[in-house]
Amino acid sequence: MRPSTASTTSPQATRRRSSDFFRGRGFLTLLLVAALLWSLTSLSWGSSPVHPGGLGSIGQFFQAAIQPELSAGFLGLALSSAWKTIAYAVAGICLAVAMGLPLGILASGVLARRTRVRVPGVAGFRFLLGAMRAVHELIWAWFFVAAVGLSPAAAIFALAIPYAGILGRIYADFLNDVPAEPLRALRASGASETKVLLYGRLPMALPDMLSYTFYRFECAIRSAAIMGFVGVGGLGMQIQLSLSDLYFNEVWTLLYVLVGLVLIVDLWSSWVRRYLTS
Amino acid sequence: MTLLKTATSNRGIIPNPLLVSAAAFLVLACASWLYLLFVADGGFRELFRGETWRQAGEFLGQLAGFGVEGTPAFLQWDKWMEAGTLAYDTLAMSVLAMGIAGVGALLTFLPAARNVAMGELASSASLPSRALYYLLRGLFIFSRGIPELIIAMIVVFAFSPGILAGAIALGIHNYGILGKLSAEVVEDLDPRSARALRTSGSSVFQMLAYGILPQALPQFLTYLLYRWEVVIRTTVVVGLVSAGGLGREFLLDMSLFRYTDVALLLVWYLILVVFVDLATMFLRRLAR
Repeated sequence: MRPSTASTTSPQATRRRSSDFFRGRGFLTLLLVAALLWSLTSLSWGSSPVHPGGLGSIGQFFQAAIQPELSAGFLGLALSSAWKTIAYAVAGICLAVAMGLPLGILASGVLARRTRVRVPGVAGFRFLLGAMRAVHELIWAWFFVAAVGLSPAAAIFALAIPYAGILGRIYADFLNDVPAEPLRALRASGASETKVLLYGRLPMALPDMLSYTFYRFECAIRSAAIMGFVGVGGLGMQIQLSLSDLYFNEVWTLLYVLVGLVLIVDLWSSWVRRYLTS
Repeated sequence: MTLLKTATSNRGIIPNPLLVSAAAFLVLACASWLYLLFVADGGFRELFRGETWRQAGEFLGQLAGFGVEGTPAFLQWDKWMEAGTLAYDTLAMSVLAMGIAGVGALLTFLPAARNVAMGELASSASLPSRALYYLLRGLFIFSRGIPELIIAMIVVFAFSPGILAGAIALGIHNYGILGKLSAEVVEDLDPRSARALRTSGSSVFQMLAYGILPQALPQFLTYLLYRWEVVIRTTVVVGLVSAGGLGREFLLDMSLFRYTDVALLLVWYLILVVFVDLATMFLRRLAR
């Protein structure tokens, strides 16, 4: 371990040759600090960043944290919208896996032996996956709403497309990264590339694929919640409604439910992941 | 499925997490799809009607400028420049957000690691350090659990709309993610070099500075760069609420049905995404 590589002012960093410096972490730190300073220059420093009275309403907002709205009627509403959010997230992740798995297999190029087929295939499908995930799910949702109208189906597809792009790319990487020796043994005993995939690559990559999909499920709950912004029901929409009515106590109830959901999925997935890696 | 078999033979009474999870997820998936298809009006039937697809085609045509009066926005140079300024602001917002998240996480990830706060790397598991550990972990959970967009809706209560408000919202959310990830890096570190420093007489501070940080920082930088790739996509979305960068213009053009302008913004958005992907690829090589 080199204890001083992380800071530019360390004696070791200055002692190294300058050509080394431009390849090291010292240079990276310098670049990051410069980028941060540049971003500060694009702020408008003239006007005050805080509203008159803005701090007061933020204070009220945080005061409401200790007394969330707990009436039975509102709790019922919170739970039913939580169920909607869960249903959208689960349906979205199901569709994402259904699209991402075949696309990921195609983008990994493991089925084609000849280079002439593999290279353009891999490039094409990787580009497709990249295009799917480059656009944020909320933008997809907006386009869906503009194109086919407002419905939960639109939100689910909007969620599934970028998630399929992410999952497909990661699946392709995992399928490519499995150790080569067992695959060679399978091929030597006469297995086709499809059989190598089914009996070699997929079983070996499965633990990693599962734990990544699980992590994405946690993200899908958050993404499903913000679909409220385009008018699809669920926790996000209720939060938005309560916020615009300035009912901060209700907002906190909904926030606690949302954070609780994310926490449960997080604990669930780390339970599974610990088992998969041990 | 060797995975499942070894599990049942090793654990015995403890339920196999994989089987339990698979069953639980299957139930959840069935319930969700049944609910969406039969209980709630999911709108899946409309997706398979010709009318819907005609509408979708029309929308795509309008994005590309068919049947639109006047010159499409993406053929006008000054519109390109206008949107370019907004893209520049968006980039600044994402960098500022990463700055807020990065500095915040850098300052707090050590006391949020279990082994530093109360484990084998702690001088003593004192009450303040325990309390700080739980406080920080709670903070991580909250800021991570609430989506950026909702944080932005709250932040604009106090801050004037603009780049700073959006950057704060993004920064808060990513602070939780970065903090949790880097605290876990410290928890998974090999403790031997730190312990060796400690036994040879260095203070707790020296042990953290020379035994822990050098091991954890490269990983921290990698996470920071990885989050930047995610954040640049989300910056546009947060801009819808915080009115900074491309998001504000996107909201305006969508609601005024100026679809060729939307297409132009989308092009700039993709340019930003590709630029950040390339930049992080270059920077990640430096972090290694």
